[in-house]
Amino acid sequence: MKRTLDTGNAAITEGAIIAGCRLFAGYPITPATEIAENMSRRLPQVGGYYLQAEDELAALHICVGASLGGLKAMTATSGPGYILYADPYGWAIGSEIPVVIVNAQRVGPVSGITGAPGQGEFYLSRYPTQGGNFETIVLAPNSVQEAFTLTVEAFYLAERFRTPVTLLADQLVTDGWETLIIPETEEEIQAMGLKVIPRRINEGPEFYPATDEIDIPPVVLGHNTGAACSDWTPTAEGYDTEEVEWQHKHAYRLIYKIRNHKDLITRYESYFLEDDPEVILVSYGSPSRVVKSAVKAAREKGLKVGGLRLISLWPFPDEIFTKTAKYLSVELNYDGQLVREVQRAMPKGSEVHFMGKCGELPTVAELMELIEALIKGQPLKAKPWEMEAW
Amino acid sequence: MDYLATKYLRPRKIPSTACSGCGLGQIHKKVVKAIDELGLDVGDVVWGTGIGCAGRQTFATWKGDNFAGTHGRVYALATGLRIALPPNKKIILTVGDGDAFGIGFNHLLNCARRNVDLTVIVCDNLGYMSTGGQYGWTTPEGYRTDSSPYGMWEPNWMQGGRDVLNILREAGATFLARHTSIEGQEAVESIKKAILNKGFSLVHMPYPCVTNFAERALGSRRPAVMYKWFKERTVKLNERVDEKALGDIYFRTGIYYDASNSRPEFAEALRNRVAEIQRRFR
Amino acid sequence: MAKRTEVLVSGFGGQGVVRIGQALSLAAVYQGLYTTMLISHGTETRGGYVRSQVVMSEEPIDSPVVENPDYFCALSKAAYNRFKHLVSHGVIIYDPGYVEPDPNLNVKQIPLNARDLAEKELGRELFANAIVMGALSKLMSGLLDKDIVIKAMLERIPRFHEENKKAFELGYSLL
Ligand SMILES: Cc1ncc(C[n+]2csc(CCOP(=O)(O)OP(=O)(O)O)c2C)c(N)n1
Ligand code: SF4
Ligand SMILES: [Mg+2]
Repeated sequence: MKRTLDTGNAAITEGAIIAGCRLFAGYPITPATEIAENMSRRLPQVGGYYLQAEDELAALHICVGASLGGLKAMTATSGPGYILYADPYGWAIGSEIPVVIVNAQRVGPVSGITGAPGQGEFYLSRYPTQGGNFETIVLAPNSVQEAFTLTVEAFYLAERFRTPVTLLADQLVTDGWETLIIPETEEEIQAMGLKVIPRRINEGPEFYPATDEIDIPPVVLGHNTGAACSDWTPTAEGYDTEEVEWQHKHAYRLIYKIRNHKDLITRYESYFLEDDPEVILVSYGSPSRVVKSAVKAAREKGLKVGGLRLISLWPFPDEIFTKTAKYLSVELNYDGQLVREVQRAMPKGSEVHFMGKCGELPTVAELMELIEALIKGQPLKAKPWEMEAW
Repeated sequence: MDYLATKYLRPRKIPSTACSGCGLGQIHKKVVKAIDELGLDVGDVVWGTGIGCAGRQTFATWKGDNFAGTHGRVYALATGLRIALPPNKKIILTVGDGDAFGIGFNHLLNCARRNVDLTVIVCDNLGYMSTGGQYGWTTPEGYRTDSSPYGMWEPNWMQGGRDVLNILREAGATFLARHTSIEGQEAVESIKKAILNKGFSLVHMPYPCVTNFAERALGSRRPAVMYKWFKERTVKLNERVDEKALGDIYFRTGIYYDASNSRPEFAEALRNRVAEIQRRFR
Repeated sequence: MAKRTEVLVSGFGGQGVVRIGQALSLAAVYQGLYTTMLISHGTETRGGYVRSQVVMSEEPIDSPVVENPDYFCALSKAAYNRFKHLVSHGVIIYDPGYVEPDPNLNVKQIPLNARDLAEKELGRELFANAIVMGALSKLMSGLLDKDIVIKAMLERIPRFHEENKKAFELGYSLL
């Protein structure tokens, strides 16, 4: 194992290479540019291709096209580029093409604050394209090391589910420096629990079977399999059709291949949940690091507090919200995005509260103040956009 | 088209669902004929399309591998595919004028700049026809469409001293030709050259849309009217004509620019570069 | 060792704030510690400071936020004024060339004339950050090995290794 000090950007690069990524097409944007730069240096060393695209639409289309030709591919961006992915993202979902997409979230809307962390694309990553009739897979690392392992995982899931996977990071995870341990041999890769599957080729003639099964090889062109894939609703063979029955079958597949295998995707961490928590802090990404410190500090003070940290965001892990409690969603935005899903998933009799911040992490001290108020049943006031009973 | 169709096309998709009298079939046939005359097999070609009539009517007609991109983006998709596929596989794209010269123009120009080995056949029905007949970027000046009820007034890419092929040439394309669908073997020969060029080739092929363009612009759906209109406006590149007397759009046809195999092809250059860097790091 | 050591380095762009943090973090990695470092690249519109927040621990680190620095190294007036109140039990190291210390603060404050010394002793202001690294290394010698900090520093600085080592030793000897 190689033990270094490095950024999340470097971790994502190395994770992608270990996962077998051999093409990266990107477009410069803070704070994801460093991933592109790292890729431009590293990929050729392992026989891979780096391209700078004319825009993000092209960047993801090039990745999807390369994947369609059999190469594992990845792109990386931040919010303003992520919205431009809408078109190729949808194409890859519909044609079931594996590809990995990194979004280093910054403060929005639009260009917002370029070099500061935000969490504004929680819902966008659920609906990254139009039309509905699909589920997405989204993973959210909260450390440099996890940025590495989840990148490998993203490629793994993309292959098994034949779909794009978004790694929803934030600027603190991608730009932050931390201890990074990288496996250097096949044994070390396995010892770390990392799974890599090579690209398989669908031989047809049923390229789009009406089933929720996973592990079906994706369409790969150039092998004269007679494959057809397009933006139109496909028949099983890939012909474009306007028959509603086929649309239904296609939608069923796109939704239920993911819903019915959610257990293979869902990942989370919990703290002190078995210990009758009155208050449960919910978070993902970099804020969850501070949340964990705060939960531990609160427990040391004898306060009945627990924590849930989401590692997979979509499909949303409703089933982990089993405790009736006062939930506090801690996010890097002021509008409260995660809080709505928590509200939907939590058991009856629970409450959900919100703590939002933008551009920088909350502190343990701030969180402790809120935890104490919630335990005492006091209303959360202070700045109305920051702390509010939902 | 029987011999060619049995050899290369899927029975399920032939005859196509295009309107009867549509000129698209003439283009489709010429492309397949060119493939045949080059001695290529089904497995040698991967066929991509855009959206619209041009895309939808040709998608999945090819017996081998097929793909269709979203509106205007198939050029970027094909760039990625080009890098992944073995260099001897031909990628041929049949796309619309709106797709290539409108929404996808930026990607198209970047493919030309990179000299990506693609053969793009722009099936130009002089506007957005599958959406019912709105003006596009090749609609002739003054002609009526559903969105130019008083006549096309915007400058297009074809008149007023502009020619879209000039732009593509400047951008770096290595083979450019124009033929109307009513032309014969000369168009097939150009398509063959386009396919043989290891680089970015584009053949611009204006063709008659009887249902929408002809109906609004010429006031008749009769194929004879539309074909006559095309015939009068198809002028060979080297032919001397009194352009002033024509006083309308005309299509200068033939090989417009042939710099085949004169510039490094993008995917090949990228592969070579990567191999060279990889050697250094071994 | 304490469970968690927090270091805050802040100044303006070009002073080597990021490098100082990197050298300390990297040294921590070499010593088998866990470490995190957050970098905030402030532009003028965002308060005019660059900040490295470094945390080191024998255990995996949860919060990477420096809320209570053991060492706060202030290399500009703006940085000093913005973060001085975070320090409750730690020490503040400041460059008197930029910072006028607040006499009302109830914490230990150590002046370190890095900019002037770098210019006088080594001929270039450029070496001030190595002086700071030396001084921090001395203060943190219970946690980080001097030689390892030097090794980490040289890995993060591409040029002028001899001068930087000299500057480091100078800083180390001052405290
Ligand atoms: C992003 C997007 N915008 C608009 C459309 C609607 N649309 C479908 S086909 C078409 C016309 C395309 O024109 P052209 O490429 O010239 O093809 P034609 O139908 O004329 O052959 C349009 C605008 C679409 N499918 N996608
Ligand atoms: S609408 Fe026009 S271009 Fe489209 S199929 Fe009919 S005739 Fe052809
Ligand atoms: Mg058209």
